[in-house]
Amino acid sequence: MSEKRDIATRMAGNQKQASISEFFEKNKHFLGFDSLHRSLITAVKEAVDNALDACEEARILPDIKISISKADPKRDVIELEVEDNGPGIPRDSIAKVFGQLLFGSRFHAIRQSRGQQGIGITGVVMYSQLTTGKPTHVRSKIASETTAVEMELGLDTKSNKAIKSKEQRVPWVLEDGTEKASGLYVRCRMKAKFQRGKQSVWQYLRMTSIVNPHASITFVDPDGETTHWPRVTERLPRKVSAIKPHPHGIELGQLNRLAKATKAANLSIFLKTDFSGVPGRAVKEMCEVSGLVDAKGQPLKSRPGKLNPEQIRALAETFQGIRGYLRPYRLDHRGSRIYVADARRPGVPSAPIADAKHGDLLDALTEATIDDLLDIVTSRTDMHWEESLVELRSTVQSTHGDGPWNKQTADAISKHLRKTWDPRIVFEPVKLLKPPIDCLSPIEELLIKKGLSKTIDSRFVTTLTRAPAVSSGNPFQIEVGLIFGEGMPADSAVEVLRFANRVPLMYQQGGCMLTKAIESVDWRQYGLDQPGGNGVPKGPAAVLVHLASTNVQFTSEAKEAVADNEEVREEARKAMLELGRGLRKHLEKKKKLAKTQEKFELITDILPAIAEKSASILGREVPTLAGSITKIMNAVIAQEATAWDKESKRTNVEISLSNYTAKARSYTLLANWPQREGATMVDNDRGGRSEMTGVWAWKLETLKPGESATITFALDGLEKGDWTETEVFYRGAGDVIGATKMDDALLKELRRQEEVLTEGEDGGQDDEAPQGDATPSAVEVAVPDSAPAEVAAEAVAPSGNILDWTEGDA
Amino acid sequence: MTGRTHSPEETKSALHDVVVEMYDRIVKGEPPTMTLPVRTKNNITFNTRLGVYKYGKSTSVRDATSLRSAKQLLRALHVVEFIEEMIDAGKSSTLREMYYISEGWGHGKFGSQNESNNLAEDLEVVTKCLREDFKLRPEEDGARIIGNITLQERNRRGEWMRINARDDVGDSGYGVPYNVEAEKLELIEHDVDFIMAIETGGMFDRLIENGFDEDHRCALVHLKGQPARSTRRIMKRMSEEWDLPVVVFADCDPWSYRIHASIAYGAIKTAHISEYLATPTATYLGITADDIVAYDLPSDDLSKKDIEALNAELSDPRFQDPWWQEQINMMLELGKKAEQQSLAKYGLDFVTDTYLPEKLAELGLA
Repeated sequence: MSEKRDIATRMAGNQKQASISEFFEKNKHFLGFDSLHRSLITAVKEAVDNALDACEEARILPDIKISISKADPKRDVIELEVEDNGPGIPRDSIAKVFGQLLFGSRFHAIRQSRGQQGIGITGVVMYSQLTTGKPTHVRSKIASETTAVEMELGLDTKSNKAIKSKEQRVPWVLEDGTEKASGLYVRCRMKAKFQRGKQSVWQYLRMTSIVNPHASITFVDPDGETTHWPRVTERLPRKVSAIKPHPHGIELGQLNRLAKATKAANLSIFLKTDFSGVPGRAVKEMCEVSGLVDAKGQPLKSRPGKLNPEQIRALAETFQGIRGYLRPYRLDHRGSRIYVADARRPGVPSAPIADAKHGDLLDALTEATIDDLLDIVTSRTDMHWEESLVELRSTVQSTHGDGPWNKQTADAISKHLRKTWDPRIVFEPVKLLKPPIDCLSPIEELLIKKGLSKTIDSRFVTTLTRAPAVSSGNPFQIEVGLIFGEGMPADSAVEVLRFANRVPLMYQQGGCMLTKAIESVDWRQYGLDQPGGNGVPKGPAAVLVHLASTNVQFTSEAKEAVADNEEVREEARKAMLELGRGLRKHLEKKKKLAKTQEKFELITDILPAIAEKSASILGREVPTLAGSITKIMNAVIAQEATAWDKESKRTNVEISLSNYTAKARSYTLLANWPQREGATMVDNDRGGRSEMTGVWAWKLETLKPGESATITFALDGLEKGDWTETEVFYRGAGDVIGATKMDDALLKELRRQEEVLTEGEDGGQDDEAPQGDATPSAVEVAVPDSAPAEVAAEAVAPSGNILDWTEGDA
Repeated sequence: MTGRTHSPEETKSALHDVVVEMYDRIVKGEPPTMTLPVRTKNNITFNTRLGVYKYGKSTSVRDATSLRSAKQLLRALHVVEFIEEMIDAGKSSTLREMYYISEGWGHGKFGSQNESNNLAEDLEVVTKCLREDFKLRPEEDGARIIGNITLQERNRRGEWMRINARDDVGDSGYGVPYNVEAEKLELIEHDVDFIMAIETGGMFDRLIENGFDEDHRCALVHLKGQPARSTRRIMKRMSEEWDLPVVVFADCDPWSYRIHASIAYGAIKTAHISEYLATPTATYLGITADDIVAYDLPSDDLSKKDIEALNAELSDPRFQDPWWQEQINMMLELGKKAEQQSLAKYGLDFVTDTYLPEKLAELGLA
């Protein structure tokens, strides 16, 4: 309990203030309050974002209830109520949180969070007040107090202060008679319109529930209709730690503010402690490069706040990589660069001579002599090194003489300077470390999958979380998901679900970089319609893109479209390509399966009917079908069924293999299973052995023509929807429809993937075989037996009487 | 149809051969099959003795290795059984009725009426029987005829009814029944010089309103698009029994050319009975591709489908005649097609006063 108190107090303590209430009043359209319809969505959004963020920080599984009712239908006045089970807000902080713009811990800390700029809930209070004159009702209870505090809040937009009234202490009793442990309840009245459709409160909440699978969200609309999006995981998002800003992402103004506000006693400490990614070595280098050193070349001892504007500017240029070292090198006999260790000097590089205008260079060189040459070159660039100037002088002298040079010669020298001359110097910014990435909290593939499956009913879902990357000092991570199949309209554009830091983006789809990443993929090759190969593809699918970042750049204050950034877009595009490949694989499999299904229908329904009908017309006996069946199928077929069993809370898997060829067949079947995800294999009556982590193998008895074998097992420790499709592999001769041949290359690839997954895992997962009903003898470490586990056809004698033994593929 | 129909026993035996093929294959441990002539333009050849196009020797084997063709085989068996039942019970049904009856055939049920029509034709071709033998009736629309011809038709009470197709009919003319064989219909007498088959109802009505049949001593037959079997059959009978020339007056597009081909040379789909349906002496009167230019007719651009159809006709054995090749190529070059009614550009009477007389004069019929 006291821990919760600590959290609530600490969160409040982090909050600083900024005074732009008036600015807001004038610019409310930038902030999502531009239309009656949109204002309501924005209000819900701010309240829900706050609730989710607070719960996440306090490590509480969120239960959020949103109700909307029409307070005065004639005048478009709507009452909005949002209640959560978060940590609540300490009494003394309530007025600040709800009554001051840009008051929020998030504005000053760098980490991934939903309401990134803290304009949030205060905007709702203000909008309510502006449109209906009504204050916002707040009730808050923190865990360490026995009663909740209630108050009504208005806003003085001039002084950026809250106006508090009717404050009182009340017990917070829930419907079931118990007392609420902690939470926040907000009720406000605003001029707004409730609408349904693509851009609606309902859609916003639905999208929110997709990317917050740990949240339980209930929505009651003005007609009293309730929608409940259940929690599908008990796992809270990873706790993110705040990181200090990385120099690469810092602008001049920001640096100025940071320098003025820091508690660091001097420049070195400032650089070392207030930023991330700055190792000790770099502190000195940055000072040197920025010219912030004393006579001995040591960093200035001055307080950061005392730096003059010129010095701040120089430091900012160093941060941004404009200033750095000019570093000479020489070429070895193979032409490789060898850097001269101690010869570097700080500087801002001027343009290389190659950028000099040819005409200008020509004019300067015409009628000049060899003694003018170096002046002409050095006045136009400092991208040079003494050694290379000496070399230049002797080269020109021996080729073109001492001058004065005529125009033609000047032209040749100019060309040499711009195209051939190697100044033997490179520019190097101060090397920094990458910022830490534990400030990001991706949703993670499996949970995206669950979130998507929860709101859209379809069979095929593929998701991907890319590794974190960095752009301009800001760590970011892209996650994508694709859901495909029945239940979605096939002839319209796919639904694009965009998210930034778990917040749905609902407007300005076309102008958003995340959409552009989707559009940049040629989806036709992956099985979706896309007229002309660009634009949002068409088909029964929904595509999800989530950008997690410490600093999501939006195109406007309304935070609805992510601004373009090449590195981020490229990451998103790569992720899309990956999804596409998954989709194509799925469609190919589906097609094959449909064909197999057809054949099965043929031999189980049609062929017997043909036999019976023809026999009855002719008045003869019904013939046996085995021979015809073999001829028609002429294949070995693997079928897989993976299904969730409600009763046992297990996932049942059944794999069958049928030999419809004219020869006896022997195979080893393999199947993947979610061992890494913590599943255990049970009821595996056939035993078998572990091939590798996540792949089990069974050696099957020889199947005579027309015979089948079945493998069944169950997976324990999973939730519904975790495992919906089992991939089947085989070792043996010929093709097996419905299974992939396991050869050395595939095995190698699987092992490689496995290694990638194991990397960086603390302690490293051991490759232990799963617990369960597997026979003990089968629990052995995998032996890659590419040696034929199969007793191919020739080993078995024919047994049927109507089979054509001369045919069939071996 | 006297002379070409088969006895119930012959029909049943021919149908059984189809069933035996399937049965024997299963007994041999093979997928069941049904062998039938290829019914495309690549497998029709000119029969010099009959003067029409008939199926050649290519056969295709429909075997039960795909779900689609397996279902076809099963349907064929159901149809055979159904026909036998009708023969035994002395009943008949329309093709449409059979389509609905197939609802009760489980996996053998037809997906569309087109499927059941095609299958009935398949069985005709394989067994060399006719759908009349199968007790199956079409519901295809027979033609309308107006002109000074007299015929007699047996009515439902079995009495012969004498009809003059000019004096005893209303504006819609004499409706041709689906059975026009001798047991149902007799050609009595006529006072016309030729028969004109017309593609569209609009033009048929125009010629009647303008009194063209009387002015030019002809019988007018409205084809209603691709003519039904009975329409083609009655034209053949009139042409043969009364020794009258037949001219075809149609739109100028690839489909009109095909209509003419089915009248004069035999249709691809019914090439097994071309000698009963085709009138080899029928002549194409117009509208020809030259006419578009010569009469400066309002025209439409050829569609992609039109062009495909014309190119297909270039390699159709029935259009190998140099005159046809020229007409088809000309239409392709013009890139245009024209309707019969485009002649109205010059007034309502232009077709009867100018165009047809000029075209008939070319043929020596004016």
